[in-house]
Amino acid sequence: MTRGLLTSILLICLAGIKTYGQQPAARFGKIKPADFESAVYSIDSNANAIVLSDIGSTEIVGNKKGSFSLEFKRFRRSRIIDKNGYDLANVEIAIYTKDDMEEELLNLKASTYNLENGKVVETKLDIKESVFKERVSKNTVLKKFTFPNVRPGSIIEFEYRLRSDFLFNLQPWEFQSSFPTLWSEYTVSIPEFLNYVTLTQGYQPYFVKEQKDKRSSFEIVSEADPGKLTPTATRTNFSAGVSDFRWAMKDVPALREESYTSTLSNHISRIEFQLSELREPVFVGKTYMKTWTQTTADLMERENFGGALKKDNDFINEILPAAMAGATTEQAAARNIFKYVRDNMSCTNYNRIYTDNSLRTVWKNRRGSEIEINLLLAAILLKAGLFAEPVILSTRPHGYAYDLYPLIDRFNYVVARVNLADKAYYLDASRPGLGFGKLSYECYNGHARVINSAATSLDLRADSLIEQKYTSIFFINDGKNGFSGKVQQTPGYAESYQLRNEIREKGQPGIISRIAKAYGDDFDVSQLSIDSLAVLESPVNINYSLDWRWGNSDIIYFNPMLGEGWNENPFKSAQRYYPVEMPYVMDQTYLLRMDIPEGYEIDELPKQIMVKLNPEDDGNFEYRISVSNGGISMRSRIRLKRAFFLPEEYDMLREFFNLIVKKHSEQIVFKKKK
Amino acid sequence: MGRVFLISFLLGVLQASAAESPYAVSKIPAHLLINAHAVIRLDETRFEVNSLKETTLWHHYVVTVLEPAGASHAVLQEYYDPFREINSIEGILYDANGKQIKKIKKKDTDDLNGTDADTWIGDVRRRYYNFYHKTYPYTVEYTVEITNKESFFFPRWIPVGYDHVSLEQSSLRVITPASYQFRYKTYNTGEPVKSTEKNNNISSWQISNIAALNDEAYTPLLHEIVPAVLLGPSEFQIEGYKGSMNNWADFGKFITTLRKDRDILPAATKQTVQQLAATGTTKEKIIRLYEFMQQHTRYVSIQLGIGGWQPLDANFVATKGYGDCKALTNYMYSLLKEAGIKSYYTLVRAGRGTGYIAGDFPAQQFNHVILCVPDDRDTVWLECTSQTLPAGYLSAFTAARPVLLITENGGELINTPAYTGKDNIQIRNVKSVLRPGGDISLNVKSSYRALQQDELQNMLTRLSKDKVKEYLHEQLDFATYDVDQFDYHLTKSALPIVNESLAITVKNYASLTGKRLFVVPNLMTRSYRHPILDNDRKFPVELNFGFIDIDTVSIQLPPGYKVETMPGPLKLSTQFGTYSNSIEVRGDVLYYTRTVEQFTGRFPSSEYNNLVRYYQSIFKADREKVVLIKE
Repeated sequence: MTRGLLTSILLICLAGIKTYGQQPAARFGKIKPADFESAVYSIDSNANAIVLSDIGSTEIVGNKKGSFSLEFKRFRRSRIIDKNGYDLANVEIAIYTKDDMEEELLNLKASTYNLENGKVVETKLDIKESVFKERVSKNTVLKKFTFPNVRPGSIIEFEYRLRSDFLFNLQPWEFQSSFPTLWSEYTVSIPEFLNYVTLTQGYQPYFVKEQKDKRSSFEIVSEADPGKLTPTATRTNFSAGVSDFRWAMKDVPALREESYTSTLSNHISRIEFQLSELREPVFVGKTYMKTWTQTTADLMERENFGGALKKDNDFINEILPAAMAGATTEQAAARNIFKYVRDNMSCTNYNRIYTDNSLRTVWKNRRGSEIEINLLLAAILLKAGLFAEPVILSTRPHGYAYDLYPLIDRFNYVVARVNLADKAYYLDASRPGLGFGKLSYECYNGHARVINSAATSLDLRADSLIEQKYTSIFFINDGKNGFSGKVQQTPGYAESYQLRNEIREKGQPGIISRIAKAYGDDFDVSQLSIDSLAVLESPVNINYSLDWRWGNSDIIYFNPMLGEGWNENPFKSAQRYYPVEMPYVMDQTYLLRMDIPEGYEIDELPKQIMVKLNPEDDGNFEYRISVSNGGISMRSRIRLKRAFFLPEEYDMLREFFNLIVKKHSEQIVFKKKK
Repeated sequence: MGRVFLISFLLGVLQASAAESPYAVSKIPAHLLINAHAVIRLDETRFEVNSLKETTLWHHYVVTVLEPAGASHAVLQEYYDPFREINSIEGILYDANGKQIKKIKKKDTDDLNGTDADTWIGDVRRRYYNFYHKTYPYTVEYTVEITNKESFFFPRWIPVGYDHVSLEQSSLRVITPASYQFRYKTYNTGEPVKSTEKNNNISSWQISNIAALNDEAYTPLLHEIVPAVLLGPSEFQIEGYKGSMNNWADFGKFITTLRKDRDILPAATKQTVQQLAATGTTKEKIIRLYEFMQQHTRYVSIQLGIGGWQPLDANFVATKGYGDCKALTNYMYSLLKEAGIKSYYTLVRAGRGTGYIAGDFPAQQFNHVILCVPDDRDTVWLECTSQTLPAGYLSAFTAARPVLLITENGGELINTPAYTGKDNIQIRNVKSVLRPGGDISLNVKSSYRALQQDELQNMLTRLSKDKVKEYLHEQLDFATYDVDQFDYHLTKSALPIVNESLAITVKNYASLTGKRLFVVPNLMTRSYRHPILDNDRKFPVELNFGFIDIDTVSIQLPPGYKVETMPGPLKLSTQFGTYSNSIEVRGDVLYYTRTVEQFTGRFPSSEYNNLVRYYQSIFKADREKVVLIKE
């Protein structure tokens, strides 16, 4: 019979259990001169600071409010190696608060130890004077302190208890940080009347992973009720089975940010907990964690979520005619309403999954968070008789969300979905540059949910987002020792979005000088026009004239890619420690059609090639060039069919782009006819 | 009859006022719309000295935003702290016709943290408001009243200065009791109109009709090129402290009062100082004590109340081991004092290439503190917030500007040393071997001195070796490359030097097409400056960073190639600087040299296009290719 139950999901976890070894220091104080002996630690000889020991535990204890509290203890001892490690001496402890309840920070102790003339000198943190409090959000207060007397070689350590009446807020544990860690350990004791789901992730193996069962006694005191005839406190004592779960990691390397990473929090070695069940006989049997359908049903009712859509919202009747703009079909109505909301509203706050204001206030102020704007959009669509629903998702910088459990904290963004006759469209009216049916690439991060009674599961994958770019250039002899050319380019949607934003914020003049700079001083860029700037559903179209004078030289060297080639490998670092997460798949086509310069002949042409990224053809690069009818045709196409690559595929990607850069630098050579 | 008349009369008035609305966009003179994202219609500042304990600032301004790029000018942002209280804020939004759409008050604004990112604990907050209006053009009007509970800080008036913003009308009124003398300094504008009113003196300035400015590169400081008025107190008070600012000497005396009795060290520290300073020359003692300070303290910025101006005392730093610039400098001062060495606490306006103060106008213009250890021939400057800078070296953060020494006689304005082109030298020697396939292996030895080493020195002392390697992997201007080896050596001195040695392999550096190889012989030192010709340049050209770069490169060519085309040598000699390069092939080795000297100075706006042509020529020459062909 399992006692305290821990349901575990292992996410991208390459766990391996090793045998038991000796343990590092676990108690505050008792620093000996010998502790200062190592100046360099074998785990990372270049480290600026080392976490020697980071040990935490959470227990559930009875309290005097007739319920249970979480009691979290933490002890951390670190060594500062050099001045670049001083960051470790600034400490912040997050305290959860709600209404007038606040987690309690108790028994904080912190000391710095230095070795002076062979003696250990301790400097204690002055708790009264040197601990500052700062409110950072509605539910979070930070307690901040900095260690005194820190210098290279110092040992610093702190310990504290954090008592919390919020049973759902069982402290997570990060085994890894930006400094290497020799020992990191967390013990969680779960009584049989509670159940938490465990979520683990990361690439580091556990050194210890064990469960030990025991029996513990609990005491709950209920406060005296002054209204009663005999106002005495009631005291309940009982014993219950408890399971101690213990995880430890040894010699954990520092975590470093690399390019093409959605967020480091997808990769850090971490364990976290979600309260899932309050069990009998202590609690009146109650499943705390809900199913997806229960969760969406709740969200649909919540005042600060779906409730906003259920209200009468009669103010919308006044704006509906203007929003519809005379539309007569469903399709036109949806598009007009979307445009109306997007063009009238300003988004002041992203990453919200609950509303702070009523839709009426949001409309009145013409501003709101992304959920407020998108719920307003949904509300107007509903008033117009269309079928609209909210969708919750997690953006790329926020990390992955889970399909298996309805963990709302894992989501940070709300968009709308409208179902029209032909298909469902995903709408985000909070970003001024997005068209109807378009989401920013940041929203393509895997799991998402429609908030409806079926709790429809969605998979918004970066692999499904294709960033297609097309460039064509025509060059003809102008009869004056030069070419006159026309360039036509359609960038992908993401690039178009960025360009539109840039033009809106800074105006168009900067664009032409940037294009001119890419070609160099021998070229003349003129008559730039950018079409479809206001048609936000499509990519933009860029057109300009490009003239080139080759003068009178005997030999002409000409790079057929002009300013459009890849001249830098996007994969710079030599090694990769975790997956490459690109925002979309790319497909870039470049075409050139040119005359042979008048009075010249071809001396040399680059060779054609066609290469595959791998045998499965997850990407390919094509470079074709041919001569016909006195002209040269050239075509380059780069396609990647995946956006996600494993670390072991990194070298392959890097080599692929190396080849592209190489081909794109090759030249055509023309010689003057004799 | 009478009634009808009254109604029609009222209507008439209403219609007239709507049409006459002063903020209608149609009323903006045409020349102020050229090149403008926004127009300041009216900007009135009234600064009133009520007493030494209190001043009032009243600011009323109206801005028309013509297009989204100007929207940031419609945002209200006002800072406050224990000395600065915002009494009221009023904001009104108008449509293009000048018709009122919305009105807000202080309670409608957001109350946000205003502490800068560098500060760990502070008490500055800000009020923020944005109408988020999206129908262009539109107009906002704000009226803000602020009470300052001190007379130490006087505002400055620089009504013009944003790019792409024109100005219809702006005025400044300074109101003081008849008995009180305030001081001012004007730039590009005249003397004030003076009047008196109920025992008060009033001084007023006014400017109008200024067309929008373009974003121009290489300009002097803003207040030197546009109309500006700096204001300063004579007598002043802040918290319990009184002082006078009539001259720098008096200002210095005030800073001395703030620091009174704050240089007392604990006995243990005194003992350490005595030991460290027991032997050696004064210079050696300074360096030893400075390094002791660097070893035993770190920079943590805590700015609360008067603590923004008054240093935490030496005892605090000695026991806790941290402090901000004021506390650490005061601590260093105390250490030197204990060793019998005189030094001066020194106020400076720090910042790379910016932030110079008006030296001839005593006023609070500073944001940082350093220490000056005087000597007739060899004054030593100490930056006490750095744990790594060598004694005696000021980086671009504080070099070459007026600073205020706090001496026994009060304040004295002097200049920190300037690092000239001859100091800021970069010498690079590249030996390389080009492989037949186009890959190249480089051995690079570089030496960077003074301001040329600032960034690198900062990185090397901040980053671990792994991070430096990562940085090198990201920063070099090659397509695909690996850094096989790297090594740095720092020489600490008044002109510090970083020596760098790199071994790099670059894939496909030379482009290979059939029988030809294309090689850019300038491997590592390419200029990135590529400004664009501007026939309407308005402001003078200011170049303030002088340097010299010297490169020598050799490239061992793969066998069997001969030169087909080679760019000729280039020599440019201008008033802005000189450039020369040479390329030659001897045997199977290609030799390339490049020398650049950048001058400093101020040049008339008419010279701007010559500067552009000079930089463009360098940009192009640095990227020219040698073409080799297989024999």
